[in-house]
Amino acid sequence: MEAKKTPVVGLPRAMLYYRYRTLWHAFFDELGIKTVVSGPTDREILDRGTSLAIDEACLSLKIFLGHAASLVGKCDYILIPRVSNFGRHRNMCTRFEALPDLAKNVFRESGQRFLTYDIDVLQKKNEAAAFQALGQSLGFPARAVRKAYKLAKKAEQAKYKALVREQEQLYKTDGLKILIAAHSYVADDPYIGWTVTSYLKKAGVTPIRADIVDRAGAVGCSPQISPTCKWEMSREIIGSIAMHCDKVDGIILLSAFPCGPDSMVNELISRRVKRVPVLNLVLDSQTGTAGVETRLESFVDIIRFKEGLL
Amino acid sequence: MRDAMNVRKISFPRYAEYNCAFKYVFEEALEVRCITPPAITKRTMELGAKHSPEFVCTPFKITLGSMIEALEAGADTLMMVHGLCRLGYYGELQEQILHDLGYHFDFINLSEYDMSKKKEYIKIVKRINPKVHLARFVAKFMEGVRMVEYLDEITAIYYKNCGFDPTGQYKAAYQRFLTDMYTARTRSDIEDGYRSVRQAFQAVPLNRPVRPLRVGVVGEFYTVMDAFSNLELEQKLADMGVEIHRWMNVTHQFLHNHGQKNMAVKIKNLCTYEMGPTATANIWYAKECAERGFDGLVHIKSAGCTPEIDVMPVLQTISRDYKIPVLYLTYDSQSSDVGMMTRLEAFYDMIHMRKKVL
Ligand code: SF4
Ligand code: SF4
Repeated sequence: MEAKKTPVVGLPRAMLYYRYRTLWHAFFDELGIKTVVSGPTDREILDRGTSLAIDEACLSLKIFLGHAASLVGKCDYILIPRVSNFGRHRNMCTRFEALPDLAKNVFRESGQRFLTYDIDVLQKKNEAAAFQALGQSLGFPARAVRKAYKLAKKAEQAKYKALVREQEQLYKTDGLKILIAAHSYVADDPYIGWTVTSYLKKAGVTPIRADIVDRAGAVGCSPQISPTCKWEMSREIIGSIAMHCDKVDGIILLSAFPCGPDSMVNELISRRVKRVPVLNLVLDSQTGTAGVETRLESFVDIIRFKEGLL
Repeated sequence: MRDAMNVRKISFPRYAEYNCAFKYVFEEALEVRCITPPAITKRTMELGAKHSPEFVCTPFKITLGSMIEALEAGADTLMMVHGLCRLGYYGELQEQILHDLGYHFDFINLSEYDMSKKKEYIKIVKRINPKVHLARFVAKFMEGVRMVEYLDEITAIYYKNCGFDPTGQYKAAYQRFLTDMYTARTRSDIEDGYRSVRQAFQAVPLNRPVRPLRVGVVGEFYTVMDAFSNLELEQKLADMGVEIHRWMNVTHQFLHNHGQKNMAVKIKNLCTYEMGPTATANIWYAKECAERGFDGLVHIKSAGCTPEIDVMPVLQTISRDYKIPVLYLTYDSQSSDVGMMTRLEAFYDMIHMRKKVL
């Protein structure tokens, strides 16, 4: 490319950002590409996303489109990967296959350009190859891209290991512990997931994230609860429940309305995991904090009562 | 336990009119008894919805209801397919729900098999009936496939033309054909039924206008084809005097699907990737209809259908680019005839007016 000016890449702080942020930042930093991240989710972002999305779409997509919209015109490209699968029985929700094309159609009039990469291992497209193509399409030499990806991957792994270690420590703390079973972009979103975690903390309960787990190990354990589940992110969570349900006092299945995979997976978990109390909590753009807090309060009461603490 | 003298009584939930072919394959190819569940009714839907998670897509609820009715009708074995999207997970959850309800049955869930391997198919066949002779099975199975092809071909002809027959003979011929397929026991039964419906169709004089209204129907795999699920949308629209065109069916999507790669080429300007299990075909066909100057498109899906919700922005683009109206219909277990008719009539009025003006 005519590498006069390196482009600025916009990263919507939603959906897969929460899974890949370390990798993305490290990769672009290494190549000397500037990134901008949209601000934390707030009412305005949600409302904007809601107006852009098809009414029936899940809350996560609405939030995502709000973030993407806030980056339109503020960067050369917005990064939206397509992630289809990581192999057989390791699929993503179909929404992650559709996302780049969906956004291109939604923002067609804006003239905004997008950057994408395609992970579809069943079609022999893995992450390394996808990043290689991405970097080279931006005009960087193959070697530089390979190095950037390698370093970024290392950074990602180190960071993730530390996060997992931190969660593992939490299982050993005293007092009530509740496992939050949710997609990372639901659990970690300040506007939705945090209302749950911060309430629990205030109530003296330790929330632990099910999705932050040794992923390969969890995927391996997931058939203990559900042998035919094929969504990678659900399998990580199911496996994490199988690994940890003895170490917590309750489980909250936290879902963004109306999440396709969760609509089935969470039902199955509720029917099969009997050892600890399970709360099914579905958040939508209408849910007020008050309603959520009432349900959390009574759930915590049930646990305390059951354990003779009340 | 089943005693050795008795053969399996197997059932597969209702799915459009394809149950005639399932029955043929079960009884003639696999030599077990097939319990065809009763036609879907409001009760099926209510039963299914009552025992399903609230936000699951509608085909899950209907097929669950249909499974319950199959068990009530005496089935001792249920079968569920694998598939992309949530469909691939239907089986495990439905089995759990039915067990929790207290039913006893054998469940053959194709999602438990690796359907990319040939020998898995043999395993399934042998599990259903260990005494089956494989070569004979294959021959009979292919006859069942032939039945599906005929069914799809005849159904397409039917909906394209039935709106222009005031006498009702066209409909009667189609119904007779369906009965023929449900009662077919041999290859010649299938061929005879096919031949006679073609003849019967040809014998009906149609009062088709020179430039009839033409509408293309696209959408989610189950709801778009299952007349009960979509509240007989195609029949109702046809009855207003509209030619109905739908590409999506089992034949096109699974049996003669050579064209999907080339489809993707034709819609490159609209989307770069495969967006979902039926996305490429639906976008391609919608564009095709638009280019052929159709008067409108109908997009049909179950409530909450993730992949088809994601196709909608692309259809909106097509609608804008080609100035073709699109009616978006979403079906859940509460959908009513009244609500749909109102929207359908408004849609009809609009495309009718436009045709006059244009
Ligand atoms: S997994 Fe659920 S929340 Fe995530 S994109 Fe799919 S439907 Fe939305
Ligand atoms: S395509 Fe739609 S209706 Fe079919 S399984 Fe997927 S979400 Fe459900």
